[in-house]
Amino acid sequence: MPAFALRRWIGYPGAAILVGATLAVLKLFRGLGESSVALILLLSVFLSAWLWESGPGVAAALLGTLGFNFFFLPPVYTFAVEDPRNVAALVVFLVSGLLTGRLSATSRERLRLVEAERTDLANLTRLSEAFLADTTRESLLGVAADRLRSALQADNVTILIGDDKGELVAAASTSDAPVRQDLADLAFRQGSSAAFPSSGEGIDLYLPIPIGVQRAGVLVAKGLRTSERMGEGCAVLLGLALERERFVRLARAAEETRASDQMKSTLLAALAHDLKTPIAAAKGAVENWAGEAGSSEGSRIAVEEMRRLTRRIDELMDVVRFDSGVAHSRRERVTCSEIVEASLARFGDSMSAHSLYVDVPRTDLRVDVDPSQLTEALGHGLENAARYSPAGTEIRVSAEGRDGTAFLRVGDRGDGIPPGDRERVFDRFVRLPSSTPVSGTGLGLSIARSLVEMNGGTLRLTDAPGGGTLFEIALPLAAG
Amino acid sequence: MSRILVADDEVAIRKVVRDALEKAGHEVDTAVDGAEAARLFEDGAFDLVVTDLNMPNLDGLELVRRIRRSSSVPILVLTVRQEEREKVRLLDAGADDYVMKPFGVAELVARARALLRRAEARSGAQPVTRWGDVELDPESRTVKRGGAPVHLTPTEFSLLLALASRPGGVWTHRQLLGAVWGSSAGISNDTLRVHMGSLRRKLEADPNRPRFIRTEPWVGYRFSPEPD
Repeated sequence: MPAFALRRWIGYPGAAILVGATLAVLKLFRGLGESSVALILLLSVFLSAWLWESGPGVAAALLGTLGFNFFFLPPVYTFAVEDPRNVAALVVFLVSGLLTGRLSATSRERLRLVEAERTDLANLTRLSEAFLADTTRESLLGVAADRLRSALQADNVTILIGDDKGELVAAASTSDAPVRQDLADLAFRQGSSAAFPSSGEGIDLYLPIPIGVQRAGVLVAKGLRTSERMGEGCAVLLGLALERERFVRLARAAEETRASDQMKSTLLAALAHDLKTPIAAAKGAVENWAGEAGSSEGSRIAVEEMRRLTRRIDELMDVVRFDSGVAHSRRERVTCSEIVEASLARFGDSMSAHSLYVDVPRTDLRVDVDPSQLTEALGHGLENAARYSPAGTEIRVSAEGRDGTAFLRVGDRGDGIPPGDRERVFDRFVRLPSSTPVSGTGLGLSIARSLVEMNGGTLRLTDAPGGGTLFEIALPLAAG
Repeated sequence: MSRILVADDEVAIRKVVRDALEKAGHEVDTAVDGAEAARLFEDGAFDLVVTDLNMPNLDGLELVRRIRRSSSVPILVLTVRQEEREKVRLLDAGADDYVMKPFGVAELVARARALLRRAEARSGAQPVTRWGDVELDPESRTVKRGGAPVHLTPTEFSLLLALASRPGGVWTHRQLLGAVWGSSAGISNDTLRVHMGSLRRKLEADPNRPRFIRTEPWVGYRFSPEPD
C-alpha cells in the first residue's frame, strides 16, 4: 500500500531528524547531567523505532550514540573519549539503544500484524454473512467476485467453477483480465495452489475451492495485498457457500417432491372416500332392505354383488396407488401366524366351498412388513385358489421358516398353470382360460406381487405337491 | 330400548346406520360431525355412541377422548381398512369396539347389542362361564373342557378371566398386559402371544383356526363366546 511504502521510505530521514532535533534541544539546556541526556536520547531512539520500525530504529540508535559522544562526552566536539568510564557508558548506551529500538519495533510490527489479521477476520465474517444470505447460485456467484475482491484487496478476482463434464468455466469475474488456464487446471485437478508476484503490486494467487475432499472450482485473485492465508480462508468460505447453496437446492427439490406426493396421497384418499362411501351406504341399504324383504334370491344376489363391487374398487384403488408412486409400506414386526389368521378372517368366506387346512408352526416366524399389505397379498392367493380350483377340493395354507426366509404358501388342487404362463399371469388383466367360469379383473396377482415386493419379498407360482398351483410368498425373516 | 347417538358426516351412512339400529328396536339421534355429537351427548342420556373416525370439526378420536372425560358410555367406531394404528389409538383412548367400513349391517347391530348388554351387566360384572365345551369357575379357579379338568398356569388363568369378563369385546395388547400384569411396562407382545398360544392349545379344538379366542390382527385379541 502507498502509505506503508511511504512510511518505510521516510523512516531513515525521519529517524535522523528526530535524533538530531533531540540533540539540538539537549544542547540548549546546558545544566543537564550526562545520564539525563542519555535517557532522553534513548527515548528518541525508542520513538523512532516505534514510528518507523526496525531499520530506522537501528539507525537512530547508532546516530544517538555518535551524537552523545560527539556533543556531550568530553572532549566535546570530538569522537575521542577521555574518561575510560565513559567508554563503558557509551557501549551501554549503544546496546540499550539497539535493544530498545528492537523491542519497540517488534511490538509495533506485532501490533500491525494483529491489526491486519483482525481486519482479515472482520472481512471474512462479513463475507460469510453475505454468502449465507444468498440462497441461489446465480445471486451468490454474481456478487461473490466483487465481495472477494474488496476483502482480499486485490486488483481483480475471477471464480472458475467445474461444470458437469469436469471442465473449468469462468462463473464470475471482476474484469476481463485473462487467467492462466494451466495454473487454474492444476489447482482444480490436483488441489495445489500457486502464488507468485503480480505484474503490478501484490501477488497473483490460484487457489482450489474445496468442497469436502473434492474441489468445486478455482479462485483466482490478481494483485492480492492481503495474506495468502486470507485467500485460502476466502476459498474455503466460497466452497462452503457453494455447498450450502447445493444443499438448499436439494432440500427444496425434495420438499417439492414430498409436497407433490402428499397432494397425490390426499387426492387419492379423497377419491377412495368418494368411491367407498356410496358403496358402504348402498351395501348397508341393500342389507337393511334384504333384512326387511326376508332372504330371497334377489336380495342374496344384491348383497353378494355389493361385496364384490367393494372388492373391485379396493383393487382398482390399489393399482392407482402403485402407479402414482404414493404407495408406502409402514413396516412393523409381526408373525406369519398373524398374517395367516388375518387373511383367513378377511378372505376366508371366499373359500367356504373348499375344505381348508392350515399348517402354521408353533414357533413364531417374525417378519418386518406392512401387516395390511401382506394380509392383502396373501388374501389374493386365497381368492385365487378358491377361484381356480373345483369346489370341495382342499386348499392348504402354510407357513414355514427356512434359511433366514419365511414362506407363506397357498396350495390348491386345481388344474395348475402351465409353466410358460406362470410369469404372464402376474401381468395386469391377464386371465387364463379356466375349466370353471370365474369372475375377477385379472388384477389380483399383479397387486399381490407389487405388495410383496414393496415389503422386500418375492412372489411366485409353482406346482403344488400332488398337483394344482402353489402360491408362494418368500420374506426375509427378521433378525433377532 | 336403548338410546343411541350416531355421528357421521355422510348423510347416506347416517341413514343406513339409523335404519339398521331402529329396526333392531333402538332410539337413534344423529349428528353431522364430532362437534355436534359432543354437544348432543352433553344434553342427552345415551346408552351407546356410534361414531365415524374421519369427520370435520372434531374427529372420532377426539370425540372419544372428550366423551371419556365425563362418561363411561360404550363407544363403537366406524373405521376403514388400513387404519390399524388408528384402531389401537382409538381403543387405548377409550373406544370399546370398532366396525370396518363398508360394514355388514348384521355385524354392526351385533356389536352394538354386545356393547349394550355388557354395559347393562357392568354393575355386577360376572364373567361368562360357559362357551363351547369349556366351563370356567372363577371361584375355585378351575377350568374344564368336555368335563375334564384343564391345567392352566396362573398367568393363563388371569388372561382367560380378563377375556371372559368382556364377552365379545376387543382388547388391545396394552390393555391386556395392564389387566393381567398390572402394567404393560417391560412385558412384550411376544410374551403375551406365547401365553395366548398355549391358552388356545388347551381350550381350542383347532388352535390354527380359533373359534373363541381370536386374534384381532395388529390390535390385540377378541373373545367371542358365541362364534358367528
